[in-house]
Amino acid sequence: MSAQIPISTFNPYRGEKARLVRAYDYLILVLALFLFIGSFHLHFALTVGDWDFWVDWKDRQWWPLVTPLIGITFPAAVQAVLWDKFRLPLGATLCVAALLLGTWVTRVFAYHYWNYFPINMVLPATMVPGALVLDTLLMLTNSLTITSIFGGAAFALLFYPTNWPIFGMFHQAVEYHNSQLTVADLFGFQYIRTGMPEYLRIIERGTLRTYGQYATPLAAFCSALLCSLMYPLWWYIGKWFADTRYLKSI
Amino acid sequence: MKVLFKPWLLALLCLNVLSVLTVPTAQAHGEKALEPFIRMRTIQWYDVQWSTQKFNVNEEVSVSGKFHVAEDWPISVPKPEASFLNISTPGPVLIRTERYLNGKPWTNSVSLEPGGDYEFKVVLKGRLPGRYHIHPFFNLKDAGQVMGPGVWLDIGGDPGDFRNTLKTINGEVIDMESFGFANGVFWHLFWGVLAAGWLLWWVRRPLFISRYRMLDAGLEQELITAQDKFIAKAVLVGVPVLVLALNAVTANRYPDAIPLQAGLDRILPLPAQVNAGTVNVDAIKAEYNVAQRAMLLQVSVDNRSQGAVRIGEFSSSNVHFMNAELADVGHMPGKDDVSNNGLSLDNNTPIAPGEQRTVTIEVRDAAWESEKLDGLIKDADSRIGGLLFLYDDVMGKRYISSISAAVIPKFN
Repeated sequence: MSAQIPISTFNPYRGEKARLVRAYDYLILVLALFLFIGSFHLHFALTVGDWDFWVDWKDRQWWPLVTPLIGITFPAAVQAVLWDKFRLPLGATLCVAALLLGTWVTRVFAYHYWNYFPINMVLPATMVPGALVLDTLLMLTNSLTITSIFGGAAFALLFYPTNWPIFGMFHQAVEYHNSQLTVADLFGFQYIRTGMPEYLRIIERGTLRTYGQYATPLAAFCSALLCSLMYPLWWYIGKWFADTRYLKSI
Repeated sequence: MKVLFKPWLLALLCLNVLSVLTVPTAQAHGEKALEPFIRMRTIQWYDVQWSTQKFNVNEEVSVSGKFHVAEDWPISVPKPEASFLNISTPGPVLIRTERYLNGKPWTNSVSLEPGGDYEFKVVLKGRLPGRYHIHPFFNLKDAGQVMGPGVWLDIGGDPGDFRNTLKTINGEVIDMESFGFANGVFWHLFWGVLAAGWLLWWVRRPLFISRYRMLDAGLEQELITAQDKFIAKAVLVGVPVLVLALNAVTANRYPDAIPLQAGLDRILPLPAQVNAGTVNVDAIKAEYNVAQRAMLLQVSVDNRSQGAVRIGEFSSSNVHFMNAELADVGHMPGKDDVSNNGLSLDNNTPIAPGEQRTVTIEVRDAAWESEKLDGLIKDADSRIGGLLFLYDDVMGKRYISSISAAVIPKFN
């Protein structure tokens, strides 16, 4: 990548060539959008799954641990391609935006219109702020190491506070038939899910008991550490899959 | 044109055919798919009834009944340490408003005791009009779903009439159908606009081939401008600050927010209703005649009650085999899962108080096959289980025994 070719020798495309190259940009963008909507959404649904589907799964231990850990995978891989080959710092934001588009389509059409769940019961979480931080940090530092450590950590640490304005209100207490529930729990009780008994929820399980009731920050920092490791792993997966050889023949 | 005409005509024909074909909605819940020994020897339902089967949106319906947790719980099925009484519905066409076990309200999962007797009640409210096949059933952790008897419910009315409001502990009345939706959409749009702004900032300029060539030519510094860097720095600092500020505002707004609740309810069984010790029944042997679709049960009955008793019914996996010789005892004509003369005895005379008698019961009905209960003989655990109902006509009492025995198949 060193500047062996003098700047004066670089000949930018003009006229018809420039128009064709721009058309190619849009073609790739549209294809990439649908590819990431489909693949990242599928990946997310199969791995994060119920934690993202249901309001009564979004707990303070597993949800902030699992979601960023899985959510950082595609952004890292796509950043590896878009930054390394094109110096485009938008891989993470593109992936997360595509994921959200796919998620909203499924929540509205599959969960609400097809299966009759109220949409507020299946509101998705957002990872946009973490993705913006990942993109900008990579752009400003141009360093895989720094982005892994600080970007990965920020992606995890920002997740819970980003989503609290959306889901905090569902954690208000309700007295219901001699027990205390959150509004979110009540959704799970009232809106019948035949294949989702209450005990299937993986919430509040684990040994994070020594530190009193500070489960969320601990889960978030645990996720931050794991995201710092997950990020470079998926960066190299992205690099391994990406191939721009054909561009040399244009 | 002629070449194109035929495929188009064929496609049009196919579309026409598809449009007239009706696609029926699946209404079954796999109730016959579970291995018979699990259906017969885990949750043994009885006396299940619905308050009504026809009602409107916003009206309530309840299902109540009893179940016995079989003592002879299959070794291959985990014990019911976490169980959830559920309702099989095609989505939340009804909502569950109340649920009781042994008279106690409960919302979480519960631990059941093998040998225990329980009575339940679930109150539901109509949400979406339609005709639905509904069962109460138990989700058993690591085992699956054990269905109770199913019925068809007709929900009439207008879905727009449905209301579901409740009051939080702070006194705020909320509508569960819309609570938090507008707020969620707002925050998704808010962050979505920021994401779109960042993407458009880069997408507005030439992207892939142009940037690749410039990078290849060593013009990296041309690709990221000072303005880009300024905006990136603003985003890098501004977004986390904004996130933390919004989080603090929300935390202040809901200072009494609590974590999701994950307790397991503990509800003791009722005093013994089944195998209560008054009339003891012990299964000695069971043979299944494949050709005749008949189960031959040899049982020993020890009547320690004050009156004479007669065997009136054998019930297993929600199929009721009735003794036709006993008039007015539990006959339920017209129900699909009842065989009104499916049970006969070698000796139908009442078993006197204090008498011990070995009785051979023939339970013969096509239901063994249609309900896929005859698959028992091909299961790894081929023990039959069920409830035997004995009646004291004079005293008007009913005694129930949960019996089980290994089944020997007879192929001729």
